[in-house]
Amino acid sequence: MNSSSAHHIWRKFKVLMAVQFAHMTVYRAEIVIWMLSGTLSLIMGLIWMQQAASSPNGEIGGYTAQDFASYFIATWGTAQILVVWVAWELSFDVRQGTLSPKLLRPIDPFWMHYVGHWAERIVRLPLMFVLLVIFALLTGAHYTTDVSRWLAYLMLVPLAFTLRFLLEYSIGLLAFWFEAAENFQELVWVLYAALGGLLAPISLYPAAVQMIAYATPFPYMLSLPCNLLTGKADLGDALRGWLILLGWTLAFAVLQAVLWRRGVRKYGAVGA
Amino acid sequence: MRFFRLLRIYLSASLSVQLAYRANFFAALLSSFANLATGLLGVYLFYSRPEIKELGGWNLEAALMVVGFFTLTEGLISVWLRPNLTQLSEGIRTGTLDFLLLKPVDAQFQLSARNLNLLRLPDMLLGFGLIIWSAAALGTVTLGGALLAAVLYLSAVAMVYAIWFILNTSAFWLVNVQNVTELFQGVFSAGRYPLQALPLWIRPVLTFVIPVAFITTIPAQALRGELGQAALFSPLVALVLLVLCRVFWLRALGSYTSASS
Repeated sequence: MNSSSAHHIWRKFKVLMAVQFAHMTVYRAEIVIWMLSGTLSLIMGLIWMQQAASSPNGEIGGYTAQDFASYFIATWGTAQILVVWVAWELSFDVRQGTLSPKLLRPIDPFWMHYVGHWAERIVRLPLMFVLLVIFALLTGAHYTTDVSRWLAYLMLVPLAFTLRFLLEYSIGLLAFWFEAAENFQELVWVLYAALGGLLAPISLYPAAVQMIAYATPFPYMLSLPCNLLTGKADLGDALRGWLILLGWTLAFAVLQAVLWRRGVRKYGAVGA
Repeated sequence: MRFFRLLRIYLSASLSVQLAYRANFFAALLSSFANLATGLLGVYLFYSRPEIKELGGWNLEAALMVVGFFTLTEGLISVWLRPNLTQLSEGIRTGTLDFLLLKPVDAQFQLSARNLNLLRLPDMLLGFGLIIWSAAALGTVTLGGALLAAVLYLSAVAMVYAIWFILNTSAFWLVNVQNVTELFQGVFSAGRYPLQALPLWIRPVLTFVIPVAFITTIPAQALRGELGQAALFSPLVALVLLVLCRVFWLRALGSYTSASS
């Protein structure tokens, strides 16, 4: 790639980012509500904390009440960064025909959605951070002071987000063939939540369920980054998880591209 | 009588729309089972730990009863409330609400009954099945307990309806309210566990601020043959919420000037 085309891409990215950021600041009240409605991991955290506090040794499976607080607050924050709603938008665009004008733009709609999600993260982050600090102070959650683990977390989570985005994008593209993709989306969300570690740290799951979970990308997206921050996973785990995520990401990038090409052809054929 | 005839027409219209797409039906069925499996896993995780004998005084079968009531209610929301009440904010935004107000049938009734998402019916059936299964497994359920649970659950349904209707009526002032109902759904997810499993400080909030406890824990308690004092409040809370919901609706209509004016 020569420098002028790199410059060109950078300019496109800047314009996209500015537009999407302006778009997302309009939704700041909604973003607060969306953040608060992701309460499942907080509720699970409260119950596990309660059980650990009342158990004879004050711990369950090696987790004290404070350990549970640390884990579930981290899960809540990480899940906030991994939020993706693109399947819903795509299937709406396909069904209502609002995809057509977007096909005329000189850039694949994929990038508009992808950058849009990142722009929303920038609006979301400051408030999320305030809530995280309040939760942590209230419950006495504690995190590692090892800078390398925080850096590993910062390597893992954007990749996890990208994978989740590609996964949801592929589901959204199913709308070319099926009337509504929402039911598929819900199915994948349930798998992500259950196997990713939203219900409990993965090490507390029955062995058979753990095996199934590790055959999917979900625990590397959610549970692994959180375990890094609480000091229950090390850099070796992070590197292995990162490579696994990368493999899944490439696979879904290919799948998404194939679905998109075939879908658009089908969409054009029906005369939209 | 007229209402029943209308209900039948609404039902057959919903049915013919949704049966047209078979793939969606299978996807919906699959996600109903996945939802239930997640609910069961969430409870099983606690009981599979040797350190935990009981969850706030509830043994496994009794806790599964709560999951049953939760699944049933979630199904009810997806089948009945969500598809109907999202029409309200859409109708206000696009102006189609005006057509509905012109019809000689109570508008609140039309808004509450026109659409059913029958694809999510399996959620309700699975929830109901789980309640029956856990009641049989407990073996201590009496006829009186079952009747009482049914009455308390009817109150719970009235509460859920009233809360959803109130939240959606606020669309008259807020325009976009889909998010507020998401928030309720988020808090309601606490209802999949017995209230006593949660820390003490949050229990009054989930009983009297957002009445989650009345919806799942208290009917399950009655079915087990235990009746807390809080149960006596259940029909009262339901009644208050229903009245509030009607008043809110009439006030909203009074201040409504259509999208076109």
